[in-house]
Amino acid sequence: MKRGIVLAFVLGVALAAFAGSSNTKESSTTTPVARTAHADTMRALGEQRFRANCGRCHAAPEKFPPRAMATVLRHMRVRATITDEDMRLVLIYMTQ
Amino acid sequence: MQFFAPARGHSQSSAPDKPIPILSGTAGVLTSVTAGQTLLDTQINPVLLIPFGDRWLVESRGEFEGEFQRPPGGGPFGGPVNKHLDYLQADYIANPYVTITAGRFLTPFGIFNERLYPEWIRALQPDPLILPIATASSDGAMLRGGFPLSARANMNYAAYVSVASIGVNGVEAERQVGGRAGVFFPGPRLEVGASWQKALQDDRKNAIGFHLAWQPRAIPLSVHSEFARANQGSGYWIEGAYRLSQVNVWNKAMRRTEVVGRMQQFFSGDISPDAAASFGLPGANTREADFGINYFLKDGLKAVGSYGRQLSSAGNFNQWTVGIAYRFLIPLGRGDTP
Repeated sequence: MKRGIVLAFVLGVALAAFAGSSNTKESSTTTPVARTAHADTMRALGEQRFRANCGRCHAAPEKFPPRAMATVLRHMRVRATITDEDMRLVLIYMTQ
Repeated sequence: MQFFAPARGHSQSSAPDKPIPILSGTAGVLTSVTAGQTLLDTQINPVLLIPFGDRWLVESRGEFEGEFQRPPGGGPFGGPVNKHLDYLQADYIANPYVTITAGRFLTPFGIFNERLYPEWIRALQPDPLILPIATASSDGAMLRGGFPLSARANMNYAAYVSVASIGVNGVEAERQVGGRAGVFFPGPRLEVGASWQKALQDDRKNAIGFHLAWQPRAIPLSVHSEFARANQGSGYWIEGAYRLSQVNVWNKAMRRTEVVGRMQQFFSGDISPDAAASFGLPGANTREADFGINYFLKDGLKAVGSYGRQLSSAGNFNQWTVGIAYRFLIPLGRGDTP
């Protein structure tokens, strides 16, 4: 039973890593959503997502430099298990 | 298989917002009087975040805590400075649904340990009574992530294997598996979830937990609650924090003020009072009520104060806490767009 659990976990890790590595090149050239013509809408959506997700634990912080905020959002994506889309929209809201 | 399928354009960074390393964390000074005994608690929890490329993040948090008391009979404050590595982990964002973590990490059991623990975030400074249950740092690997189930609900999950857990009072070679799953409803801003942990040796004991977080849209109220049950004991806490921004007098000050209340209970488990104490748990059935007030002086800096009354067969006592908590963030590189 124990061995089965461990094997299942290792298999999951391997599958996830394989899935993730297959599109590294593709994603590195992605244009950020912030550059679309709907920047205002994106910011408003980002604020909404901030209040819904981040507001569960803490108040809105001041806006840090964009590249620092990108790191914070990556950290919070992992820590608070927020969705990929929520992270992107909050990043737009917090940096623009 | 969609869960593991690659997705387009999910990497976080692009050239304008390429993440940089940062040093963040919390510093706090708290004075508490518990059952007439004064304790000066100074704490700094530095958090180092180092991103690599589009998908990697190495993150670590340490804890340096000085607990200073006057010796019996008087004299200057003195005491130990405890050092502890809370986590040192590498995260790989494999795709929008899965992040792979390896190293030492905070055990995802309930919500307080992972999300609410830092002094600048928690609404009341005293820990919940059940915090030590199944929350010792884990060493191993973890899968975690969050994704939308529908337009009205998001799922979040974490599943882990730990080969050694670091207990409150040192190393305990314990292997365990566990996980947590939650569903967040953005409409009512409600999250509910459950946690589970199973030891892989000895009596293969289980621990289970449930959690709730709710921020109603109509009022600036934040409600959190947890329940946990394990062989060491069981219990719950429920906490409400209300920001006084809707009060019409002294509005500028009221907007910065938060009042908090917490009710909790702990029920002893199948271990002796001494063993419970070594886990950081009460040695007897315990009830506690806490009330507090926080004043946000500026972003990341708040003054805190609370009063609590603990009732148990081992003795009743009051607990007063007053202090200040600060969150800092230092970019270790050029923070603006290159």
